Amino acid sequence: MLHDKPFVLASPDHGRMVITAANGLAQKEGIDIGMVVADARALIPSLEVLDDQPETLARLLNGLAEWCIRYTPAVAIDPPDGLLLDVTGCAHLWGGEKQYITEIWKRFKAFGYDISIALADTVGAAWAVARFSPNDRIIENGQQHMALLSLPPASLRIEASATERLEKLGLSQISQLISMPRSALRRRFGAQILQRLDQALGYEEERINPVQPIEPYQERLPCLEPIVTATGIEIALQRLLDALCHRLQQEQKGLRTVVFKGYRMDGKIEKMEIGTNRPSCNSKHLFKLFEVKIESIEPASGIELFTLEASKVEDLSTVQEQLWGNKMDLDNVELSELLDRIGGKIGAHNIHRYVPAEHYWPERSFKEASSLNETIQTAWKVDRRRPLQLLSRPERIEVTAPIPDYPPMLFRYAGKLHKIMKADGPERIEAEWWLHDGQHRDYYCVEDEDGYRYWLFRSGHYDAAKSYQWFIHGFFS
Amino acid sequence: MNYTELQVTSNFSFLRGASHPEELVEHAAALGYKEIAITDHNSLAGIVRAHAAAKKNGIRIIVGSRLDLLDGVTLLAYPTNSKTYSQICNLLTTGNLRAEKGECHLYRSDVYQYAKGIKFIVLPPTDLNELFEFDPSFIKALKEYREAFGDDLSIAASRRYQGDDSKYLYQLAQLSSQLNIPLVATNEVHYHEPTRRQLQDIVTCIREKCTIYNAGFRLHPNAERYLKPQEEIFRLFSHYPEAIIRTQQIAEACEFSLDELKYEYPEEITTHGHTPQEELTFLAWQGAKERYGDDLPEKTITAINHELKFIEQMNYAAYFLTVYDIVRFARQQKILCQGRGSAANSTICYCLGITSVDPAKFDLLFERFISTARNEPPDIDVDFEHERREEVIQYIYQKYGRDRAAIVATVTQQHQKGAIRDVGKAMGLSIDTINRLSASISEFTDEWFEGKRLTEQGLNPGDPHLRKVLQLTREFMGFPRQLGQHTGGFVITRGKLSDLVPVMNARMEDRTCIEWNKDDIDALGFMKIDVLALGMLTCIRKAFDIAKENYSLDLTLANIPQDDPAVYEMICHADTIGVFQIESRAQQSMLPRLQPRCFYDLVIEVAIVRPGPIQGDMVHPYLRRRNGEEPVEYPSKELEEILKRTLGVPLFQEQAMKIAIVAAGFTPAEADQLRRSMATFKAKGLVTQFEEKLIKGMMQNGYTHEYAERVFKQLEGFGSYGFPESHAASFALLVYVSAWIKCYYPDVFACALLNSMPMGFYQPAQIVIDARKHGVEVRPVDINHSGWDNLLEEKAGKYHGLRLGFRQVKGLRQDDMELLILNRKKSYSTMNELRDAGISEATLEKLADADAFRSIGFDRRQALWEVSTKDRPVALFSGQPAADAKEENVSLPTMTSSEHVVHDYATTSLSLKAHPVSFIREKLHQLHVVSTRQLSSLKNGDSVKVAGLVLVRQRPGTAGGICFMTIEDETGFANVVIFESLFEKFRKEILQSRLIMVEGKLQIEGEVIHVIVKRCYNFSSLLRTLTPKNNENLPVLTLAYPDEKSIPAGLNKRSQVREVAPEKIFPEARNFK
Repeated sequence: MLHDKPFVLASPDHGRMVITAANGLAQKEGIDIGMVVADARALIPSLEVLDDQPETLARLLNGLAEWCIRYTPAVAIDPPDGLLLDVTGCAHLWGGEKQYITEIWKRFKAFGYDISIALADTVGAAWAVARFSPNDRIIENGQQHMALLSLPPASLRIEASATERLEKLGLSQISQLISMPRSALRRRFGAQILQRLDQALGYEEERINPVQPIEPYQERLPCLEPIVTATGIEIALQRLLDALCHRLQQEQKGLRTVVFKGYRMDGKIEKMEIGTNRPSCNSKHLFKLFEVKIESIEPASGIELFTLEASKVEDLSTVQEQLWGNKMDLDNVELSELLDRIGGKIGAHNIHRYVPAEHYWPERSFKEASSLNETIQTAWKVDRRRPLQLLSRPERIEVTAPIPDYPPMLFRYAGKLHKIMKADGPERIEAEWWLHDGQHRDYYCVEDEDGYRYWLFRSGHYDAAKSYQWFIHGFFS
Repeated sequence: MNYTELQVTSNFSFLRGASHPEELVEHAAALGYKEIAITDHNSLAGIVRAHAAAKKNGIRIIVGSRLDLLDGVTLLAYPTNSKTYSQICNLLTTGNLRAEKGECHLYRSDVYQYAKGIKFIVLPPTDLNELFEFDPSFIKALKEYREAFGDDLSIAASRRYQGDDSKYLYQLAQLSSQLNIPLVATNEVHYHEPTRRQLQDIVTCIREKCTIYNAGFRLHPNAERYLKPQEEIFRLFSHYPEAIIRTQQIAEACEFSLDELKYEYPEEITTHGHTPQEELTFLAWQGAKERYGDDLPEKTITAINHELKFIEQMNYAAYFLTVYDIVRFARQQKILCQGRGSAANSTICYCLGITSVDPAKFDLLFERFISTARNEPPDIDVDFEHERREEVIQYIYQKYGRDRAAIVATVTQQHQKGAIRDVGKAMGLSIDTINRLSASISEFTDEWFEGKRLTEQGLNPGDPHLRKVLQLTREFMGFPRQLGQHTGGFVITRGKLSDLVPVMNARMEDRTCIEWNKDDIDALGFMKIDVLALGMLTCIRKAFDIAKENYSLDLTLANIPQDDPAVYEMICHADTIGVFQIESRAQQSMLPRLQPRCFYDLVIEVAIVRPGPIQGDMVHPYLRRRNGEEPVEYPSKELEEILKRTLGVPLFQEQAMKIAIVAAGFTPAEADQLRRSMATFKAKGLVTQFEEKLIKGMMQNGYTHEYAERVFKQLEGFGSYGFPESHAASFALLVYVSAWIKCYYPDVFACALLNSMPMGFYQPAQIVIDARKHGVEVRPVDINHSGWDNLLEEKAGKYHGLRLGFRQVKGLRQDDMELLILNRKKSYSTMNELRDAGISEATLEKLADADAFRSIGFDRRQALWEVSTKDRPVALFSGQPAADAKEENVSLPTMTSSEHVVHDYATTSLSLKAHPVSFIREKLHQLHVVSTRQLSSLKNGDSVKVAGLVLVRQRPGTAGGICFMTIEDETGFANVVIFESLFEKFRKEILQSRLIMVEGKLQIEGEVIHVIVKRCYNFSSLLRTLTPKNNENLPVLTLAYPDEKSIPAGLNKRSQVREVAPEKIFPEARNFK
């Protein structure tokens, strides 16, 4: 969507939006990193500006690093935009170094990344060549010295201030540094520059810190003999649940959804899925949730492999167990487990929970909660009386009322005439103009001669043209 | 029966009310109200406007304020007379002064202190508690109020349409009779008509920093807070007629009107028990003798007598004395100042030293400056040196006291961009959409959102949500957002200022200001003095000081030799870089055509190159008449009187207004109104009314329709950008003075100008180039010679040498440099001596970068190498020189001179070594690009290519989208004109280039040379060749990427981020609109 138009990422800096990245098209138009968005817009009025999210970049890099484990087990991250691969003993699997990096380059290209790769004996040399050398990408064994000579000091991974100063001193190639007495360099730029030089040249060893990918929350149970009985499935489920819950417990996690799969001899997969209202690692409880569904699994000629995978895992908040005074509220584990079980039987979509919404308009004054854990953002409004039962759609009624806005005297609803003995109102609620157009409503609480109370309203103001209408909207008792 | 609305929140309760005070008043008048109150929250900021509107609409305003207390129930307070009005002002002042700007912290005890005689209405809580009763804490508070205020207290009853209104009012009535506090009906008005409720919701969102979608209960449930017809109120309170009657009792009791406020001039401006008139007379004659000597010219005597009589008649003596007092202080402190404004160019002001413009050079009647009809105080603004104005301000505070002197407020109004931003945010638009909306507002005009521009931005003008946003934005525009402080308008009173108006803290420390702005002050006839800051005065004072030190000259604004032909000769050749007002491109191209030869020509020059006259198309007729190409004629005898001095072309604001009076039959007050209505965008409707009136009036008096229309157009221009003659005259004096200094002492002038930076149109580089052109030797910054400021050294040729100061070097701190200078007993000879003096490494590095070590034999690179050394001889070896480059056997690559120039620009924004363009002249030559100097030897209409650094880009609103650009090369400047169609085409080149090459046609008119552009090229990359760059221009990759030959983007990302590309080192051009 964005690849064919100029766009930039920007983040706020001292009250201005400063560009932190620009795509090729934008750069072609002269937009560069560090520019203020307003200036860039002056150049390209249609420039697309997106918020920079540095954490996305870090996540992306981490993801790429994990993906690269297919090429070598030792992949390290070199923020903000680099990856370090220790390829010792790996390249030949792809038929040589050249094929190896060509393969990596191609795959990244296919993803849509522009990358630059170099292969060398040392981390430092590869880093420098990848970023600064126009020439060879593969530095032969022991050739890093030659490769580095013509590169700028910036390629040594030294501080920006040191690079800048070297630049100012006219020292624009590493060759100039190498020929200089080491003490002259140390006196001025500290030990770092010498260390970096030594690392790049291979005089000093440098280790990388490989990424450790997170294992998925998955357990497998292959069977020696195909399982065909319900008892067998139960045992398998129990074992898998125990193993998974053990791991979850150790990591202080709980699962919200989990899928149990049985791989049948005939290649078909049987599966069942359960969800919980709060993160759980209670294998007994989880087993109960599955129990009602086990019947649905058809082993046919037998199941040879079971897997259990938690697809949604959350941090488990451990609360101090209370000995007495367990309240039956939403924080109660037993209640939520009960709800899980009921949900398992009648379907979770049949259990509703409502929370208040900040709207005066009665139809919008509440909404369905998304989960058991959803915290109420605002208290229930109790200062105005609201009926026990609210009709989901107000129903038209006929009313006799004094004008312009005094409470009604009579109304006819469902064929029955009600004489109003007592009334309160009007409570005027204006249409929420940003959501819908329409007239305001004047609400009245009324009580008929039988003592029943109703919530009536007139939509619109009294006028001679009778453009208003009366409705009943709820019952108090 | 009558009803008076006593609780009205206008939009001067910022982000609470949704109607202007004027709207509320007009609507009330239309509904037949006889009076309404304005009760803004802890403020009286909106009442003057309401008062003015009420007078116009024939109703009365009841002054009031809503007091939101930190420790009590909210009250409405109404003064009954001027004494109780003062009490309220003092009360609000107390609250304002103890809080940050924009807030007012009031407590019950404060109210009790000032309560006597004030009518109060207490506002009960909006809801009953669960027992359908009022909260006991409220009842307790009510009892306390009753105790404190007695019969002056009422309790507000409002119908809110919340369902339980009857119960609520019943409970209230019970409480009222129990405690013997009368009920009073109000409707809590927040907007004048129900439709404004949407905007009210929006301002609530802006205040609460939320969107309309999540504002929830912070909004009102209904739209009942509007100004209702009286009959409706009667119906709503039919059970409580006493509540309506009470409104009348309060309205009758509160008969205070703002017209009662009496402004009195301060007292301590006279001496020896003189009356102000006697004092002024004495000072005027005394001053006249100082100015003219004992032999006063007959004309002057007549003028002084005439003016004194007039001042006596109008009772303005105190005003002149107040201004005189401030000017006298400034002169004692040697702060340069110059008065301007309608009354400033009188003979008396000249005698008092308020202005240095000799009125003998004019032939103006004093009355012309002051409009007798309106009986407004005269207007004198005084400009002071911008660096020292604060001293004057503090003097005023000290002399008259903080309780008697304060700065007037400016009401910051919501403008287009701000309004769209706020409304868009409240309406839940994404930042991106808001940006695009904002971008669709035309850049250089005040035009409304155009459908086309919206579509261009990818927005759908038909979208109802967007239309709603635009509609609300339109309503929101012009809303007051906050009270700021005026740049220097002072109000000084005899008694306590806080008796007249609430005083509040300004954002700046040590400043207090009042809640009213200058229009409000005008409307009430208060005196105001503008204490303004002017950079050029600082520059001139510095020039006087330098001239005294180096040439033993004792210069003042008044004693500079007048009418010097050499100065005018210089001005005529547009040799005016740095000269006040006439240094801009537009002025420079006008000077050779206008050929100013006397002081009045300068006055015209200052006034004519302004958007007003340009828009009104007055420039060319004037030029033609002056050059004798067109006969000077007047449409009538009466207009000849007015227009004689400007050859029949109206150039000054006064002339335009006078035409409206004389030719179209306007009253002076109407003419003034006309001018004001044009200055503010909100009163667009009024303008058309005036247009009809003016044209009709003029045609009735026998002028042609065409002429009348032209006059109107000219007036329209003046409204927003016109220049009164008196201002132009004051400025012209500064023009002449600065030009005189430049003409005779270019060394002094350049030095003073550089020491007053930033000011004016040009960068230090251009000032330095100009000074060298005039034969001044400019010397580089050096550790052994420079001071913090630029200074003059021993003579070299005709003038003193100008030594650049450390202030020219970016990033150096004055403290550090003072330390360096203090320890510079004799010359420094080694780097370590500087270190011993306590100069930090970072500072030394900056000095090295600036190439300031030449006097000890280091160029910048060697100096940097020395500075870089982290270790230095210590203990036994301290004081000995450390191993240097030679001993270390290190040879650094030598820097080319072009590299030096680039670094000079990077550190000081100028170079004395060479001009950057000179290094690429060879290349430019090959491309047949000529130098700017060569342009003058070419012919009008020749096609040329010329290149240079972009100094200034301008796209004045008056020029119909034309862009003007000034470019500079090593030989001089060239002015470049780009027409609108091409601007869009070459937008990128124009906005981005540091070095631009233009191709076009030459337009030569006398000395004025322009290049009319056909094409533009960004040549900035040529500047890169000035420094060696190894990693630039990389060859194409050789390693076979199977199907990719180009360098992957971002290959050089790291190196790019870290380095400043050399072309960026050259200063950005200045953009003027």
